[in-house]
Amino acid sequence: MAEKRTDLLRGTLDLLVLKALCLEPLHGVGISRRITQITQGAFQVSFGSLFPSLHRMEEKGWVEAEWRTSENNRRAKYYRLTSAGRAQLKIEQREWNQVVKIMTAAVESA
Amino acid sequence: MPTRIVNFFRNLWRRNTVEQALDDELQSSVELLTEGKMKEGFAHSEARRQALIELGGVEQVKEEVRGIRAARLVEDLAKDVRYGLRQLRRNPGFTTVVVLTLTLGIGATTAIFSIVNAVLLRPLPFKDAARLAVLHEAIPKLGYPKMGFSAPDLAIYEREQKSFSDLGAYQDKHVEISGHGEPERMTAARVSASLFPMLGAQPMLGRTFAPDEDATGHPVAILSYRLWQKRYGGSRDALSQTIEVDRQPYTVIGVMPRDFVFPLASADDNGSPADLWIPMAFTPTELQGWGGSYLTSVLGRLRAGVTLGQVRGENEALARRIVASYPGGIADFVRRGQLAIAATPFQEEVVASERTLLLVLMAAVGLVLLIACANVATLLLSRAAARERELSVRAALGASRLRLLRQMLTESLLLALGGGVLGFLFAVWGRNVLLAMVPLSVPLPGRVPLSGGVLGFAAGASLLCGIALGLVPAFRAPLASVSGALQESGRGATTSRAHHRLQGFFVTAEFALAFVLLVGAGLLMRSFLKLLETNPGFRPDHVLTMNVPLPAIAYVHASEVENFYMQLLDKASSLPGVESAALSNDLPLREIVGVSYIPEGQANGAGETPEAVGQTWVLGNYFQTMGVPLLQGRWFTPEDRPGSERVAIVNLSAARKFWPGRNALDKRLRWGGGPWQVVVGVVGNVNEGGLDTAPAPHVYRPYLQADNPFLEQDPFGDMRALNLALRTHEDPASLITAAVAQVHSLDPDVAVTRIRTMTQVLSSTVAGPEFNTWLLGTFAGVALLLAAIGIYGVLAYSVAQQIHEIGIRMALGAEKRDVLTLVVGRGFKLTLMGVAIGIAGSFAVTRFLSSLLYGVKPTDPFTFFAGTLVLAGVSLLATYIPTRRATKVDPMVALRYE
Repeated sequence: MAEKRTDLLRGTLDLLVLKALCLEPLHGVGISRRITQITQGAFQVSFGSLFPSLHRMEEKGWVEAEWRTSENNRRAKYYRLTSAGRAQLKIEQREWNQVVKIMTAAVESA
Repeated sequence: MPTRIVNFFRNLWRRNTVEQALDDELQSSVELLTEGKMKEGFAHSEARRQALIELGGVEQVKEEVRGIRAARLVEDLAKDVRYGLRQLRRNPGFTTVVVLTLTLGIGATTAIFSIVNAVLLRPLPFKDAARLAVLHEAIPKLGYPKMGFSAPDLAIYEREQKSFSDLGAYQDKHVEISGHGEPERMTAARVSASLFPMLGAQPMLGRTFAPDEDATGHPVAILSYRLWQKRYGGSRDALSQTIEVDRQPYTVIGVMPRDFVFPLASADDNGSPADLWIPMAFTPTELQGWGGSYLTSVLGRLRAGVTLGQVRGENEALARRIVASYPGGIADFVRRGQLAIAATPFQEEVVASERTLLLVLMAAVGLVLLIACANVATLLLSRAAARERELSVRAALGASRLRLLRQMLTESLLLALGGGVLGFLFAVWGRNVLLAMVPLSVPLPGRVPLSGGVLGFAAGASLLCGIALGLVPAFRAPLASVSGALQESGRGATTSRAHHRLQGFFVTAEFALAFVLLVGAGLLMRSFLKLLETNPGFRPDHVLTMNVPLPAIAYVHASEVENFYMQLLDKASSLPGVESAALSNDLPLREIVGVSYIPEGQANGAGETPEAVGQTWVLGNYFQTMGVPLLQGRWFTPEDRPGSERVAIVNLSAARKFWPGRNALDKRLRWGGGPWQVVVGVVGNVNEGGLDTAPAPHVYRPYLQADNPFLEQDPFGDMRALNLALRTHEDPASLITAAVAQVHSLDPDVAVTRIRTMTQVLSSTVAGPEFNTWLLGTFAGVALLLAAIGIYGVLAYSVAQQIHEIGIRMALGAEKRDVLTLVVGRGFKLTLMGVAIGIAGSFAVTRFLSSLLYGVKPTDPFTFFAGTLVLAGVSLLATYIPTRRATKVDPMVALRYE
C-alpha cells in the first residue's frame, strides 16, 4: 500500500477532507477510507496529517465533532460539516478549479 | 449574565478535557483500524500492530495536533493584539484619555505605595528585626509618660533582666568635627558596644566597638558612609586616622555601609540619624544621675520563646527594684510618680507616629485609582455601545462569544498595560518629588528602593484594572441578541436601559468617592489654616537665630563659658540694625526635656508634688527679642546674677498649675531638691514642640544663676550650646554674616549652626500638616477632575444618543427650557446621589483622620457643606457643554440625522 502514497499538494488536504465530509458525518478512520475511495486509491492520507487538519478545521469552525456509536457498536468521534465549512468547501473548490485551469494552461501553452 | 463568565473561565481551564478527548479519539481510531485489518484476515495481535503502523505512532499524531492547538492560541492572541491596537489607534482621543487616566491612577498609587512599602511594610533593615523591642522608663504621675533610661537604671536593668539576649543603648550627641577640613557641627550617636552586633550591622571597612572600648571610653569612632565620603573622599586611608570630635582626637576604626541609618529618624528623643558613632562610655556623673537624665534610648533583642507579654511582669519587678536603689529623697518622689518600664516592638515604635498618615494617604490614593477605573469604565461602556454594530456583525460572521469577550479583554488589557507602564514611570518621578517633600519625622530607611514589590504592585494594579474593565462590557450583555442589536442600531435610536443604569452607577460612584476625598482634604486644609492662625505666643517676624556651641575641651570652666557668651551678647547687641539680642539654651517651638519643679508649701498637705515643666536658661533681653508678652512683674535684669537672689519667670500655664487662683509673684519654687527661687514675673505661654500642642508649664531662669557644676557637666548637652537670637529692624537674614563674624572674632574655630529666622522655624513646624494638606488636596483635585470628565462623558454621550429624540420633542414644540431640564436633570440626579452616598461614606471614614486634625471635628458641617457645593459646582460646569449642545439641536438636522 505504501507505494501508492502520493504527496498531497499543499492545501489540497483540507479540500479533500471537506469534500469527504460533504455527504455524511465520518470519524477519522472513515475520512481516511473515504479519501482513498474517492481518489480511487491514489491518495493515502497519513493520520499524522489528517488529525491536525481536522482539529485545525474544528478550531476554525468548519467542522463540528461529536461522539457517536459506530456501525460496529464502537464509540468514535464523528466530524460533521458546519455551514461555515460548506461555504469554505465552495471557496476551496472554486480556488482549486482556478489553480487547475491556470496550471493546465501554463503547462500546455508550450 | 454570570453564566457567560462561568463559561469563559471553564473554557480557559478546558485544556485537560481536550487532551482526554484526543486520547480517546486516537484510541477508538486504532480499534477501528484493527477491526478493518481483522476483516482482511489478520489475527488480532497482528491486526493491531498493523493498525498502529498505519496510524504512524499515537504520540507523534498527538504532538502534531497539540502543535496546531498551541499555534492557534498564539496566533489568536497576536491577532487580538493587532486588532486591538488598530482599534485603539483608530480612536486616538479615547485611547489617550483612558491611558492618561490609568497612568494617573496607577502612577499615584504606586508612588505612595513605594513609600508605604518602605516605611510600614518592609521589616526594619536589621537582623531579625521582629524580635527587637524598645524599652522606656516612665514616671506618669510626674508628667513623664515616656522617657529613655538613666545610666544607673540601665546598669541595674542590664544586670538583672532575663528576657532579652542582648541590650543596646544609644544617645544623640551634637558635636563639632574638626581636623582634616573645616570644623562643622554634626550629629553623633553614643552607642554601647553591644548595639551594632545586636542589630546585625556590619561595617564596610574596619570593625565596630569592642566591649572594653565602651566600658573605659576609648576615643574611637565609626564613620557613616556620608561622613567618610565628605571628609575623607572615600579613601581607605581613613582607617586609624584621627578625627577631632569636640576638639578631642578620636581614632577612626570603621566605616558603616551606605544604607546603614541609625538612629532611625523620628520626632522622639535620639531620633536623628548619626553622622558618626562613638562609644557610650557613661561618665561617673551620669552613672550617679539617679532620678534624672532619663535620656538614653534602649533596644533589646527578645530571647527565643519570650513574648512581650512575659516581659511586662519582669519590668514591673525591675522598676520596683530600680526605685529602691535610689537615694532617699529622690526615691520617694519617683515612687510616688510610679516609675514604670515598658517594652514595645521596635517596628511599631518607629512607625507609630506616621502610620495613620501613610495609611490615610494609601487609602486616598486607592480611592483615586478606583475613580480612575470607574471613569474608564464609563468611557468603555460608551464605546462598547458605539461598537455594538461592529460586534454584532462579527458575531453574525461566526465569531464565538468567547472570542469577542477575549477581544474586549485584550483591548482593555492593552489599555491597562499602557497605563501601567506610563504609570510606573510617573511613579518613579512622583516618588522622587514625594521623597523631597516628606516631613523629616517620617522614618524613611536609607533608600526607598523601587523594589520588586513596588513593580509587582504596579503590574498587579494594571492587570486588575485591565481585567475589571474588560469584563464591564461583558456585564452589559453586549451580545445577548445579535439580531436585536443589528435591528436596534439600524434605527440608531435609544440604547438599552441597562446601559444607562450602569453608566449612572459608575458616575454616582465616582462622585461619592470624590466627595470622600474632598471632605478629607477639606478637613486637613481647615485644620492647617487653624494651625496657621494659632498664636504661637511670640512674634516670629524679624528674628534671627543661630546656635553657637562651645566644645567642652576648650571651655572647661563655667566662667569661661559665661565670659564667652556675655561678650558675644555685648557684641551682637551693638550690631547696627539689631533692636535687641539674647542667648538661650532653647528656642520657642522646640520640644525640650522636661524637668521636675516643686512649688513651696502646697496647701493640700500631701507633701510637695513635683511637676514636669520646661526650663529655659536665658541671657540678655530674651522676652523682648522673642516678643513674648510680660503679664505681671518684671523682666530679668543684669542684676540677676550669681550671688544675688535666685529668681525665675514662669509662664501663665505654670503660674496656674502651681498656684491656681492665686498670685504667682513672689512665690517660691525649686528644681528637684535644689535651692529656692522667687518668681519675679509671669509671661504669656509660648508653644513648644509645635503649634498643635497645648501650652505647657514653663520656667525661665537667668543663665548666669545656673550652678557651676551643672553648667560644667551639662547633662542635657545644651548649656554650652546656646542660641543667639537677634530682633532686627530690617530683614533678619541680612544680619547673618555680621553676626557670624562677631562669633568668630571671639573664637574663629566655633562652628555656628542652625542659622534660621524664626519665621523659617515656624514654617518648618507646620511642614508636616502642610505636606498632608497639599498631598490630599492634590488627590482630591485629581478625583474632582476625573469625576467631572466622567459626568461630562456620560452626558455628552447620552445627548449624542438622544439627538433624535430631542429633535422630535423640539419639532413637537418643546421649549429650550424643557430640553435643559432633561439633560441637566439627569446630570444633577447622578451628582446628588453621589453626594448623598459620599456624605454617608465620609461620616463613616473621616474619623480615621482625627489624629491628623487640629481644631476641626471629623464631621465638621462646614467642610461637608463646602464639599457638597464644590461637587455640585463642578458637576454643573461639566454638564454645561453637553447641555448647550442639546439646546442647539436643530430639529430638521436631528430628524434627518439617519
